Amino acid sequence: LITDGNLRGSLKNLVIVEAGDQLGDYAALLLAGLGAQVIKIEPAGGSPSRAIGPFASATPDPEASIFFWRYNLNKQSVTLDLDHPAGFGTLKRILAKADIFLLAGEFPVVARRLEQSHQIVEENPRLIRCAITPFGLDGPYRDLKATDLTQMALGGIMAVCGYDPGKDGKYDTPPIAPAMWHSCHIAGEYAAIAMMAALNFRDLSGAGQLVDVAVHEAINTCTEIAMPTYIYNGETVLRQTARHAMPAVTQMRLSTTADHVYMLASLSPFEREERAFVELADQLGIEHVLRTPEYAELEKQDRRAALTYRNDLIEQVVASRPAQEIFEKAQALGLAWSPIRRPEDNLEDRHFAARGSFATIHHPELNRDIRYPGTVATDGQAPHMHYSRRAPRLGEHTDTVLEWAGFTRAEITSMRHQRVI
Amino acid sequence: MANQASPPPRALDGVRIIDLTWLQVGPQATRILASFGAQVIRVEWRKRGAIDFLRYFQPFAPDHATPGGGRVQGAARSQGVRGNYDRGAYFNNTNPGKYGVTLNLNHPKGRDLLKRMVRDANALCENFSPGQMDKWGLGYAELRKVNPQLIYLQTTGMGKAGVYPDYVSYGPTAQAFSGLTFLSGLPDQPQPAGWGYSYLDHSPGYFGAMLLMAALRRQRADGIGAYIDMSQTETGLMLTGTSLIEHQLTGKPTERYGNRMPYRDWSPHGAYRCAGDDNWIAVAIQSDAQWRALVEEMGSPAWARDGELATAAGRKHHEDELEAKLTEFTVAQDRYDLMNRLQARAIPAGVVQRAADRFDRDPQLKARGYFVALPHSTIGTWPIEGFPAKLSASPADVGGLTGRAAPQLGEDNDFIYHELFGLSTDELAALRAEDVI
Repeated sequence: LITDGNLRGSLKNLVIVEAGDQLGDYAALLLAGLGAQVIKIEPAGGSPSRAIGPFASATPDPEASIFFWRYNLNKQSVTLDLDHPAGFGTLKRILAKADIFLLAGEFPVVARRLEQSHQIVEENPRLIRCAITPFGLDGPYRDLKATDLTQMALGGIMAVCGYDPGKDGKYDTPPIAPAMWHSCHIAGEYAAIAMMAALNFRDLSGAGQLVDVAVHEAINTCTEIAMPTYIYNGETVLRQTARHAMPAVTQMRLSTTADHVYMLASLSPFEREERAFVELADQLGIEHVLRTPEYAELEKQDRRAALTYRNDLIEQVVASRPAQEIFEKAQALGLAWSPIRRPEDNLEDRHFAARGSFATIHHPELNRDIRYPGTVATDGQAPHMHYSRRAPRLGEHTDTVLEWAGFTRAEITSMRHQRVI
Repeated sequence: MANQASPPPRALDGVRIIDLTWLQVGPQATRILASFGAQVIRVEWRKRGAIDFLRYFQPFAPDHATPGGGRVQGAARSQGVRGNYDRGAYFNNTNPGKYGVTLNLNHPKGRDLLKRMVRDANALCENFSPGQMDKWGLGYAELRKVNPQLIYLQTTGMGKAGVYPDYVSYGPTAQAFSGLTFLSGLPDQPQPAGWGYSYLDHSPGYFGAMLLMAALRRQRADGIGAYIDMSQTETGLMLTGTSLIEHQLTGKPTERYGNRMPYRDWSPHGAYRCAGDDNWIAVAIQSDAQWRALVEEMGSPAWARDGELATAAGRKHHEDELEAKLTEFTVAQDRYDLMNRLQARAIPAGVVQRAADRFDRDPQLKARGYFVALPHSTIGTWPIEGFPAKLSASPADVGGLTGRAAPQLGEDNDFIYHELFGLSTDELAALRAEDVI
């Protein structure tokens, strides 16, 4: 009957042609993880994301961008100058065999390519075109300059991330944009969703369409209670150190373990969590008066003092043991506590090893393997997403792809001679 | 029906989702599916311990929604009205376009009714604490017997497979564990700034929608279902950018870098204080030309004409002093005026917008119709956050099939159980009497 529920390869008949900058890298990477064949069209000097560091070389090198490596696994690279008079004609023949044309970057460039591709859509009405631009294809901001930082600012994430205000309620530290290109992540995830929706629609109707993803709006959807708190109550949430932005500054704080790791250790208002915490303190042999008549009396007399006592006790409990031990003991009692890990602390964690969370990718040029984040879900046995090939070298697949698209050797040689490819 | 205009084309036409999700991470996925036209049936139970926390979590909706949607002018500050389960404002924003039924899964007849619904559904989504569905005998293995083509999306903090299957997690827990919390903040502060909200209650929802739509296509084509064991923490790893790879190559511990850009010679690159209370502008200088334009905009002060600052390397080298000097300029500027002036010179700049700025002022969100006014049967009409992409042929519509914001608790019991699943009014009355629905 049904033996294979794994989604690996579920998009294996799909061809995505990707052109543009870093806004598109991640969206296409996600669909490549489900088996889509992604053909990346790059100018002769390499796509803009090859200029983003860090670099695995002493000086910036388009073949050594770790950013490019991370976001272009499994893809094929074709060098093709879309601004050359013959360039778009070549692209047309590739797109004739494609399902999705993914365009990412600043509005003027994307708009020009959309205009150029108009005729292709008439010839291949099943083609889905997906444009990812900083602000969308219309509206007064559509031509604004943007980077990850400025998008995180305008989109609303920065205003809710940062450090506590001082005792006078004034902030002496700036709002923070959490690092690692989250404007690309959030917009890329939405673009992947929108492309999947367009594919579902094409299955029903046979028709392609134009998908217009705005990074600005994508970030706007991702600020949780900040927006409803304003819309409904007219209140502004305040950014606070490593915890939720709320209309008032909250009491919770980070604790430090015996091995000097910060621990996210807090108790929700649910009574079962306080009971679990008492059990943890008892297990660790730490004396306290929580859940005794003495504490009940303190709570009645001075709620704030009682809360401070409880927070001090959390700190004491956390400080008594190393991070992993506190983590496992607290979780065994049902407390949603966690050490604040560096990303790499997870490389050796047994849990992720057991799930196959990392994909081991061979880099022949380095003569070594590198592990990349490789999935977000399993089928209970194996990851749903699958990555097996390192990011392509610039133009590595130009000939292969052009031959697949029906170009003859003579045509390819001629295009190379004319610097189209 | 013949006289009505044909409904707008929907990407997920004919798809039915049984939605047992709660809080944010699960409902995020089904919200997206509903906006593409899936029939999402939100299954809840009314007992205090079982009910979605967000139904009674602040902010609450006040009692004075205007007919066109939103707050009455002048009624700006409101604590909202507490006291029942239909006033949660965040809940309303998280669950538009969904049907709402009540069902007691602690009752055997409730579990039977759920199975009856699952038999005739494409997918089931849940994000209970790990193991809850198995305790009810409603885990994937059981439900697959009822519907062999079922797609089952289960979202947990760590993921069911692995060595921490029963560990519990809120968004912040998963963020801390994965490394996302550590990565956010200033390098000279001992503590991370982290995230001011549950980022990992959003992203896994996006991934859930994406994987469900991939699975739905295959289900339609090949009749195959799927079990999707989604891990919030694993999702977090996906979002750690280049840090894991760089660490493997250099062996050095990852450090955070605030708002700066360590991977390119971009400087100044940060948030700078403007006139007013806690007002900031983000500026990202990427080239010498942009730097020269910024110097001109500042009126070419002597410090900025220093030859050392003419090159990217020089600016990077003097970044601390440069930022201090730049702040002396920005602190006297109106933030929006400065953004417009810098953008007029093709410099990437953006105000650090608060929700009020985005809602009341942002001309782009307005022009694109980002907020969508939708009615709720108790609290009136309110602006709901939209879907961030326009699809020309099958547009997303956060009002979904219901044309409403979130459902009241059990609002659609009659429609779903009686009209859709064919239970008689007598059967419904009996189930009500037995506390099953």
